Amino acid sequence: MNSSKQVNVINRRELMAGVAAITAMAAVMGSRSAHAQEGTLAWWDHFQPLAELHERMWANYAAESGGVPVEHTVMNPSDMMQSLQLAFRSGEAPDVASIPDSLAVISQLLRAGRFASLTDAVSLDKPVQREALFDGMHIVDGEVYSFPIFSFRWHTTALWFHKQMLEEAGMDPDAGPRDWDQIAAAAQATTGNGRYGLLLPIQFTGRMEAHLDDLAQMAGGVGPIDWRTGQYTFAGDQYVEALEFLLSFQENGTLHPASSSLDARQGRVRWAAGEAAMFTDGPWNSGSLASNMPDVIDGIGVVTNPMRSAGSTMQVGPAAGTFWVTEQSQMREQASELLAMMTTDEYYVALAERMDQPPLDLSAVERADVHETYRTIVREYPETVRLAPEPLIRNPDIAQVYAQMRTVSPGLGEIIQGAFAGAVPDIRATLQEYQDAMTAERDRAISVARENGAQVSVDDWIFENWEQGTDFAPDQYS
Amino acid sequence: MSIRRSRPLGRRLSVVLAVLGLTALCALWIYPFLWLVSASFKGPLEMFQKGLNLMPDAFDWGNYTRAWQDGGFSTYMLNTFLVTSGTVILVIFHCSLSGYVLGRYEFIGRKTVIGVLAATFVIPLGFTIIPIVDLSRNLGLLNSHAGIILALGGSGQAAAILLYAGFFSRIPKEVEEAAIVDGAGFLRIFFSIMLPLAGPVTATVAVLSFLAAWNSFLVPLVFTFGNPNLRTLAVGMLAFVGTNETDWSGMAAAATLSLVPVVTFFFLVQKYFVEGVAGAIKS
Amino acid sequence: MARTAPMGSRTQLVQQLWRDRYIYLFLLPSTALFALYTLWPIGVSIYFSMLDWSGFEQAGRFIGFANYKELANDRLFWNAFRNTVTFMVLAVPLRVGLALLLAILLNQALPFSRVFRTAIFLPVVTTAAILGVVMRFILDPTSGPVNLALLQSGILDQPVNFLGQSGVALYTAVGVWVWKWLGITLIYWLAALQTVPKDLYEAARIDGASGWQRIVYITLPLLTPFTIIITLITVVEATNVFDLMLTLTNGGPFYATEVIDIFVYRQAFASNTPRLGYASAASLFFGICVIALALLQLIILRRIRQKPAETE
Repeated sequence: MNSSKQVNVINRRELMAGVAAITAMAAVMGSRSAHAQEGTLAWWDHFQPLAELHERMWANYAAESGGVPVEHTVMNPSDMMQSLQLAFRSGEAPDVASIPDSLAVISQLLRAGRFASLTDAVSLDKPVQREALFDGMHIVDGEVYSFPIFSFRWHTTALWFHKQMLEEAGMDPDAGPRDWDQIAAAAQATTGNGRYGLLLPIQFTGRMEAHLDDLAQMAGGVGPIDWRTGQYTFAGDQYVEALEFLLSFQENGTLHPASSSLDARQGRVRWAAGEAAMFTDGPWNSGSLASNMPDVIDGIGVVTNPMRSAGSTMQVGPAAGTFWVTEQSQMREQASELLAMMTTDEYYVALAERMDQPPLDLSAVERADVHETYRTIVREYPETVRLAPEPLIRNPDIAQVYAQMRTVSPGLGEIIQGAFAGAVPDIRATLQEYQDAMTAERDRAISVARENGAQVSVDDWIFENWEQGTDFAPDQYS
Repeated sequence: MSIRRSRPLGRRLSVVLAVLGLTALCALWIYPFLWLVSASFKGPLEMFQKGLNLMPDAFDWGNYTRAWQDGGFSTYMLNTFLVTSGTVILVIFHCSLSGYVLGRYEFIGRKTVIGVLAATFVIPLGFTIIPIVDLSRNLGLLNSHAGIILALGGSGQAAAILLYAGFFSRIPKEVEEAAIVDGAGFLRIFFSIMLPLAGPVTATVAVLSFLAAWNSFLVPLVFTFGNPNLRTLAVGMLAFVGTNETDWSGMAAAATLSLVPVVTFFFLVQKYFVEGVAGAIKS
Repeated sequence: MARTAPMGSRTQLVQQLWRDRYIYLFLLPSTALFALYTLWPIGVSIYFSMLDWSGFEQAGRFIGFANYKELANDRLFWNAFRNTVTFMVLAVPLRVGLALLLAILLNQALPFSRVFRTAIFLPVVTTAAILGVVMRFILDPTSGPVNLALLQSGILDQPVNFLGQSGVALYTAVGVWVWKWLGITLIYWLAALQTVPKDLYEAARIDGASGWQRIVYITLPLLTPFTIIITLITVVEATNVFDLMLTLTNGGPFYATEVIDIFVYRQAFASNTPRLGYASAASLFFGICVIALALLQLIILRRIRQKPAETE
């Protein structure tokens, strides 16, 4: 066949019809582009339990003169980071975002100029608020960028248990297993008849890493970094002992076998359903049980600090800012006004009543209507949790090191998972390897940062005046 | 003679055996779906406490109302429908056009086009998502159904184009010669003669792109970060996975809801689909 | 396709292009989309793969082939590579073979065959993300129906931790993947079987060939060309198991099911310090391997196909 002939006999009307069809299609598709509505403030966070509280506050704000409606999106923490990454790059960033708790990410974004400072609408002059703000973390060049709504005095490694199961096993259901020997005994005594002593969320590597950090300190360790020497401590005895303690439950058959494929959310439901007697989780377990399984919560007890060595303390760094106004926001004033609503006494009480992470003002919990387990756990955190130093506060250039430091794989959480899966034959050697890899990565990041002009060295991690078991006070930085 | 007499019996026996075997296999295939449907009626703790028993204590329709209203699944369903049908139309539109000229005409650049298409056929395109997002942002298509449709229908369609090209190349040329004598032009030959003839290929391409679009996850996920109202079912399912809690039974109800239309659709069109694929690959 | 024009001069070329303008107009939508959504992203990825870039910064730093060098020494990359290959080697023959067997069964006029087909097609139309979550419940070591059934029937006395044990998880993933996608391969085979002429069977039956003999000597040889294309499609699909693996195992336990997709995803998005350049390098390197594999497969299969032709 000859195409030229066909082309010659084509008629003009057909051509016009064809072109019109294509144009119309393009027009229809183009016009469907729907950006976030004008005049609304986009707010992304990863605090599902707080959504109801915040949305109620925002509804009131929208009704005020000068207020705007808030379009709220709740994500889970792991999706949050990729969403933000794409959104920042594509100019689609929300007006306000929460950053899942990682100082490295926050300092990278802060350094890359992704955030805007707060306006005068936010005043943070209560003592508890002033104490929580630090240069380099929340304040840059005298401008406040963010503030924590939560206290730093908490950890994720509380031990939650079914009181009745412990009672049936002949143990005191009110006190609960308070040290490692008692926990092991309780696990033994409650295992049987298709029920297991302990359930761990092993698939959630981040949570397991936090548990191991906490347990190593409950065994007398100084935390992931020994602030006296600036060195990592992962290969120390306490980490090995903590991991061996966790593994012992698997070895003697008291660990719920599904643990290795459960994350914290699934694990909680399975434990609450009675498949295991004990479960490790943070303070939000109270809130989650109260809202989803109200029949269960009254039969639950908690040991806030399951210590091995009495008198041990947990070193926790200053709380990072919770919400950040992005540099792309056209509504900084309104965003700041919304954030100012999160600094009042009423807010701290309301926050406590959500029973999530403890509010910045811990005393609000005493005034709030909360479940007994939550009151207990928040009251007992201060017995063990101490404020650790943060190199970034003494030397803001550390932000550049954090930005350069890459994730070391396998990380601590993966190593724990691997140990349970039988893929880590020598725990101590593997932890040593991890410590060496972390040290090498930090050294590499320091040298890259120095090449870029940062004034940093490994000595920035040394705080000679730090004392284990005490809060590191702001005046100790100088 | 005895062999001949026993054959129908043997045949009947083998049919019975085959049906039994297939029934067992299908039970294995369907069981997870039965479990899903049963879970969608159960309470949050009941899911873990019933063992093999699929019957819920009581039929809890609350999971469905929660999924449909609070979970926003009515919106997600509409979005999925728009995105899927838009993608199918776009794919048929551009693949039939290019398949037609590639299969039927010799022109400058034809070999290059076919070569490049064949080469990209096997490239896993998973992580070109970042440039695609950049591109869509520059075109103003991020956070829109049009952007999702273009990204889904615009990438990885080499197979569909080649299917069309193969089909059109086998249509005898007398067909269009007769049309030319009748005074039909290039466009009319294509739209009123060639495209209708390609019905089986269109059916196949439609079903395959329907499945791809319906199942797609990453593109609708990253394209709707800024506007949750545009989410599709697959992405919306994530909304049931909260920070510290997950509404498993609500999720099961949502999943069941998302299955109903597509299963019905396939049950109805499967005959045409198989024939379409057969017709398309016959050569 | 008998269009040859003598091309002597530039004007003739221009004339020819102008004469064929409708052809190019028809080609335009596909070419434009293809350039925008396939070629451009691949090109950009090549450039990205030479950057040290966190994704939070507006632009990265050019570092040449350093990412590729690092990749060559990355134990976890090679682990992911090995997992992907193992997955493919196990899953592709299983899926293609099982589907063929079923297709031969269903191709006979059996009662309920439409119901069977729909049942096996059910997982195909279900989003992988949902299936991953559902299968986690189904395969659970204590309350999952699979283990309960195996324990209660006395086949096992200890539950199998299908997804939580290093040595088992990848095989479980293979099983789930075959389960999910078998239906579509079944359809391909059913379609291929329809191309086998019915009278050939008739003739063979009159000659006294048994059912098996008919399959081995008539059906299978006729299906060879389809085998090539169906296997090729399945291999390409086996390299793209992202959503299923993410929801089923998330690459765990301890990287036992971490395939390339998950490795790349982890580098690009799921880490505190995303490395877009490194992720691009990993996915490109793997893409090149897949193309090489596909070519190799085509060459080998062509050889096999030519042999019987030569003996004739």
